[in-house]
Amino acid sequence: MKNRKPEITLSKQQNDKRFSMRMQKKLAVLFALILVAFLTLSVRLFAINRDNGEKYKKQVLSQQEYDSVTLIAKRGDILDKNGSKLAVSQKVYNVILDAKKLNSSDGEFLEPTLQAIYSTGISFLYTKEELRDFIRQNPSSQYRVIAKKQSFDVTSPLMDMLNNPAEYPDIKGIWLEDNYQRQYPYNSLACDVVGFVQGDNEGIYGLEEYYNDSLNGTNGREYGYLNDDENLERTIKPAQDGNTIVTSLDVNIQSIVEKHILAFNEQYKDAFREGNGSSNTGVIVMNPNTGEVLAMASYPVFDLNNPRDTNGLKVEMPQMTVKDANDPDDPEAEENAETQETQETEETPQTEEGAENAGTATMMVSPMTDPSLMGEAYEEAFEQAKMEALNALWKNFCINSTYEPGSTMKPFTMACGLEEGLLTGNENYRCEGVLNVGGHEIHCSNRLGHGDLTFSGALENSCNVAFMKIGATIGRSTFMKYNKIFNFGLKTNIDLAGESRTDTLVFDESVMTPTDLAVGSFGQGFNTTMIQMITGFCSLINGGYYYQPHLVTKILNSEGATIRAVEPRILKQTISAETSEKIRELCVNVVALGTGRSARPAGYMIGGKTGTAEKLPRGNGNYLVSFIGFAPADDPQIVIYTVIDEPNAKEQASAKFATVLTRDILTEVLPYLNVFQTEELSEEEAAELAEKQLLFSNGSTLEEETEEETPEAEENAEGEAAENADTEEEDKEEETERKIQFDPETGYAIDPTTGDLLDPETGRPIDSNVSDLADVTTSPITFVDEE
Amino acid sequence: MSEQKKSRFKKERKTGVFDYTLLFIVLFLLCFGLVMLYSVSSYEANLKFGDSAYYLKKQLFATIFGIVVMVGVTFVNYHLWDHMPFIAYFASLGLIFLVLTPLGYEANGAKRWIKVGFSLQPAEVAKVGMIIFFAAWVSRFGKRIQSLKSTLFTIGLAIPVALSILLITENLSSAIIIFCIVLMMIFVATPNYKEYFLIGAVLIGIAAIVVLLVSKGILPEELSYRFSRINAWLNPEKYASTTGFQTLQSLYAIGSGDIFGKGLGQSMQKLGFIPEAQNDMIFSIICEELGLFGATAIILMFILMIWRFLIIANNASDEFGALLVVGVMAHISIQVILNIAVVTNAIPNTGITLPFISYGGSSIVFLLAEIGLVLSVSRGIRLEN
Repeated sequence: MKNRKPEITLSKQQNDKRFSMRMQKKLAVLFALILVAFLTLSVRLFAINRDNGEKYKKQVLSQQEYDSVTLIAKRGDILDKNGSKLAVSQKVYNVILDAKKLNSSDGEFLEPTLQAIYSTGISFLYTKEELRDFIRQNPSSQYRVIAKKQSFDVTSPLMDMLNNPAEYPDIKGIWLEDNYQRQYPYNSLACDVVGFVQGDNEGIYGLEEYYNDSLNGTNGREYGYLNDDENLERTIKPAQDGNTIVTSLDVNIQSIVEKHILAFNEQYKDAFREGNGSSNTGVIVMNPNTGEVLAMASYPVFDLNNPRDTNGLKVEMPQMTVKDANDPDDPEAEENAETQETQETEETPQTEEGAENAGTATMMVSPMTDPSLMGEAYEEAFEQAKMEALNALWKNFCINSTYEPGSTMKPFTMACGLEEGLLTGNENYRCEGVLNVGGHEIHCSNRLGHGDLTFSGALENSCNVAFMKIGATIGRSTFMKYNKIFNFGLKTNIDLAGESRTDTLVFDESVMTPTDLAVGSFGQGFNTTMIQMITGFCSLINGGYYYQPHLVTKILNSEGATIRAVEPRILKQTISAETSEKIRELCVNVVALGTGRSARPAGYMIGGKTGTAEKLPRGNGNYLVSFIGFAPADDPQIVIYTVIDEPNAKEQASAKFATVLTRDILTEVLPYLNVFQTEELSEEEAAELAEKQLLFSNGSTLEEETEEETPEAEENAEGEAAENADTEEEDKEEETERKIQFDPETGYAIDPTTGDLLDPETGRPIDSNVSDLADVTTSPITFVDEE
Repeated sequence: MSEQKKSRFKKERKTGVFDYTLLFIVLFLLCFGLVMLYSVSSYEANLKFGDSAYYLKKQLFATIFGIVVMVGVTFVNYHLWDHMPFIAYFASLGLIFLVLTPLGYEANGAKRWIKVGFSLQPAEVAKVGMIIFFAAWVSRFGKRIQSLKSTLFTIGLAIPVALSILLITENLSSAIIIFCIVLMMIFVATPNYKEYFLIGAVLIGIAAIVVLLVSKGILPEELSYRFSRINAWLNPEKYASTTGFQTLQSLYAIGSGDIFGKGLGQSMQKLGFIPEAQNDMIFSIICEELGLFGATAIILMFILMIWRFLIIANNASDEFGALLVVGVMAHISIQVILNIAVVTNAIPNTGITLPFISYGGSSIVFLLAEIGLVLSVSRGIRLEN
């Protein structure tokens, strides 16, 4: 066109084709209309700002808060005294599905993404098919957890894919969410003490619950805010990781204790009745000079990494009869019931197998319960029963269970009398096997009577009659005063969740009868917890210092700096150092000469006291046997308290269950603590020890240590050991020689007061269900006993 | 403008007129668009693709390609297009039908694209095609279409294309734009006024009736997602979490911008609240970041651009060239008006992009091609003695 000559462009034809004036006019109109439209819109923009500006500004700011991201804090670790990790938090990842994004672009990402994520080895909550269905049914879902708590190793291939969108362009709608998973490297070790977490790091039981706030730290946040110029700035408030707690527990001692508890329970499993070796076994090892707990264990145990595992848990169903669901007159119903019973038995082996694997107990399902017939009601009842069983399992026997302590109370009673000057230690007592107090016949464990006993002999033989007399000497008010001094009835406030209150389970001085005083003097009629007993006992033998029992010795922040050190804290002086010295001697005698002989580990002298408490209801033959002791005898480094509730045996009333378990534990723990042997080993003991070492330790260094003997100790111990042996025999002869009548038919001795047949060696009734406290019925809580 | 004035105006211009003003406006809008696009999309791009410049790069590429196309078209004699009205018409129609073939593909839930090495939106092609076709048609039969009957027939020629865009690609907004472009071109080409106001009144009446029926629930919104958009338009707060979400968030953005805005890059609404803000809703972020001042400035730029179109059309050397410019002017002004109307909730939400600024490859390339047409027409303007 440019090259055309003007003449041609001005030709008429061309001119006709020019944009006419009329059209220009109309175009101007159109332009005006467009301007009007623009003007209107500008006014509209202005109006929005004028009318709603403030409101919308606020709205924008309030929305902004939702945009902030929580940065999860890491929960602190739980360490033993040597730094071994009892509980740690491991970083894990949740895989999140954004179905909306995955479905974008006509679903072309769906298959490649599914293909890719299922090739990574992550264990998803859904199968590929289920996930596909889910995506189809919920195409707009933007947040769905499809894999939980996956470790770094497992998720790293997926991470690589997500970090390389260029290489993996087809992977869409998948992202990873950081989280922490609580892990317990020692599995069931110290399970009751450590406790576990549920949900969002909410500690349950034990240290996890007690120190929950300190362990948890504070979650951080990433958020936007407005600066002075009203500009949005994003800022990160980092998460404050939780504190680490260092405990006084020693993983080695704890393992030794748990190993022996397990061995004991395995040994007595199904021995007399079907079930565990005992209904409960608890052991606490404590440092009497600081109040620090070195080990605390009970039985049965559970895996902290899987606390809800009911495999091997004994779930006792409430009785539900098939008749509830069927017409009793219908013969078919009975047939059905039978068939189903058969099916039930067929199913049981599976559960039993699981039980064996877990090494604890068997699942018992009542034969009259049937899931198909009971339906929901059954399910509900079963769930409830399961939860109850789990709760029982999770509880810490050592601080939660209350029981009558039995004769382990006797040193406390003596200390009370000695401290108040009511006893001198030179008293003599005569035991006829039974004493009438307040019109009630209360038997001694030896129904034939212990005969004449010295003050020390009363404790050595654990004579109830003698202690009832001591109790009467001390009197009600003094006895109760000292119960309070020893903290019975009050929590020890140990730093563990779930300690029981016993304030309503002790005697009320205002209504206490002479009978109550009598049985109380040997540890029946009121309840204590294990931690109360051992804490009080520590003060008996450490010079009278009542330490605050505790587990945590230090709290570290996330950088490892100590933010709190827990020093041993003396709460009070319970008795004088002199009385404590006396009690120590008496307790050593118990182990050297009396009922605690079987608790002495070869090569060591220890002190202690046995206990055989008769449980309620009386006369059922159920006992709680125990031993509380300290080692070594001359300079107590540890105090150990062993309680076995209802040992699985026909004759439960023998403290031997507890003393032997204690001896096994001490045989390993004392060498570990580098306590030198003080006693000479007899040939038998040496052989036994060698055998035990083989049995206990699998090539550990413990073996070598125990074999080291100091020549000094050997010399010192020689005479003493021989002496002990003599006295022992003499005592026994003396006891059995006294006016015993024998039943001509069986050869058993006859109880002079009741006529029951007795074992001539021990003076115990042949019928294990005969109660020493059968006649005691007056006080609200009643009973008694002891070996 | 009087004849005299016009002559003087033309005299001031040099031979071989080239409208640098228009070119400058276009380049300004393009650069401004890229800056805004980066500001708006970087957050989402970073989240989605790990590259905050993801959208910017794609748009930059399309822009450069578009400028090349524009320059090419500028230097092609626009009379070339006068010879191919039917090719333009049927090519437009044909491309739309290609969406139904395996070449077509779907994104964001709508099947609107075809893939021929690059992705192409047939509706964008159709807009240019229709402008060429009607410019050629009207300039050829100018006098003969002035009767009402033939005017209606001419307008009717746009219906097959608009309808197939509506039905095949389910793209109501493009159909409306095409129809409006044609309507405006015919309006300029024919002498009547009354009839057009009548048509306008009828259309507005129909729309009002539909809106009334929908709002009263007589036309249930389950029938079409468009009905639910009408409800969301009338009452965005009530549908805040569903169909009204985008609109409401857009209003928040505009309302929180104040006179001078929060400053470039300081929008909060782009942080995930306005979905795909770089597309239809970019104007609301402009309002938020640059305030009423920035928004008005952009509107003024568009007005300036349209005024340049007016000048070029008035001075075009022939009717075909003038009508081409009128078509482009109609296209751009309708899109700007409708886009801002949607963003300010003046009309129900429908996907219309803001020319030169919104993200979208096909759109920018064809818009620049149209600018090329206009510049080509401006080059054809000859000085009168």
